[in-house]
Amino acid sequence: MEEALKQLKKHLSAVHPLSVKEWEDFAAIWQTVSYKRKTVLTAAGETERHLYFVLEGVQRAFYVDVDNEATIVFTYPHSFSGIADSFLTQQPSRYFLETLTASTFLRTSFQQVQTLMDKYHNAERLIRLFTSYALRGVLERQVELLTFSAEEKFKTLLKRSPHVLQLIPHKYLASYMGMDATTFSKLLASVRIES
Amino acid sequence: MIVKTFNKINLGVHQQLYSSTLIALFHQTKAMKKITTQTFIEQLETDTRQVMVALKRLQQQDPELLLQQPAPAKWSVAQVIEHLNTYGRYYLPKIREELCHNNFPASTYFSPGMLGAYFTKSMKPKPDGKIANKMKAFKNHSPEPNVDSKTALDEFDQQELLLLQLLNKGRDTDLSKIRIPISIAPFIRLKLGDVFAFIVAHHQRHFVQINDTLAAIKSRAYSDV
Repeated sequence: MEEALKQLKKHLSAVHPLSVKEWEDFAAIWQTVSYKRKTVLTAAGETERHLYFVLEGVQRAFYVDVDNEATIVFTYPHSFSGIADSFLTQQPSRYFLETLTASTFLRTSFQQVQTLMDKYHNAERLIRLFTSYALRGVLERQVELLTFSAEEKFKTLLKRSPHVLQLIPHKYLASYMGMDATTFSKLLASVRIES
Repeated sequence: MIVKTFNKINLGVHQQLYSSTLIALFHQTKAMKKITTQTFIEQLETDTRQVMVALKRLQQQDPELLLQQPAPAKWSVAQVIEHLNTYGRYYLPKIREELCHNNFPASTYFSPGMLGAYFTKSMKPKPDGKIANKMKAFKNHSPEPNVDSKTALDEFDQQELLLLQLLNKGRDTDLSKIRIPISIAPFIRLKLGDVFAFIVAHHQRHFVQINDTLAAIKSRAYSDV
């Protein structure tokens, strides 16, 4: 737990530092939870009550279609997880959140975060900044999905987060980039030959 | 005479709830163990969310497909869902009522009852995802032949959400102290925890059936071409 909170603190400080007292209160709202692989943590229609900080494992948020699923986002250590829009608005989620591998988290509730935000202006600012960065990521991805060719998407992924190739099953990576699995494996094969 | 009546009741309760059942029940008593309420509820929540993913996929299917019967006298997907709805309509309001009015202190552990564990076990798909034993639906749970698929699926979606809320509330009570009369034999009152487990296992069972139904319909569609 102590090690986990240290990671969380590190993650927060990179964005916005908290005072000693603020951090003490902030650290007190987290619990450790573990789940097996392929556990659905949030179902569409449910309102996201939790904010997670990933300690171990990979998770994905996805939208369900008839035969396939559109993968929206992956989360892995050390980052926040949860269905962000549902958590922040406390409106029902349109997406599912599941663990892809056995996962351990620090977890807190909307209520507890809300209480802290009411108490400390700095806590609210911290959440706002994290939301801003998340929004920036989403818009960036929007552009990539709309303008990039399959090859460009693939190369960007390799450049930005090469480690995910080992971490995440390829069919989900393909779904994340909006291409089918065969296109993905062809692209992967071409890179292997080049290198 | 008394013996006769007793037999009748038993047969009415459950097709298999008879001599073999009594033996099965006896064997189970030894194997049953208590489990923390937290773990118990968490497992049921996880299973329910899994069903919700499958349901979401169904909701996006062509409604016509959901109305097709895989064979004469076999249920369409919409009918299966409607069958589940009839259970939800009976149990969920009752459970909500009990959870609102009883404030037993939360219990750390839950031990399944003998009968409850038996019902759940008879419903739950085997570890390989297959259904072990066929059953026939009770009259009061038989779906109408002309079900509207969208209405049925939307209702079930709402029921699943309510079930999740009730499961969550179940953490703050004693799942053994609250008792719920079962739909097919109201004189039997099962522990709330057993009713929860039964409902979820029943959903899982019928989602196996739904998969089989869709596969049968799709393969038939191909062979027609």
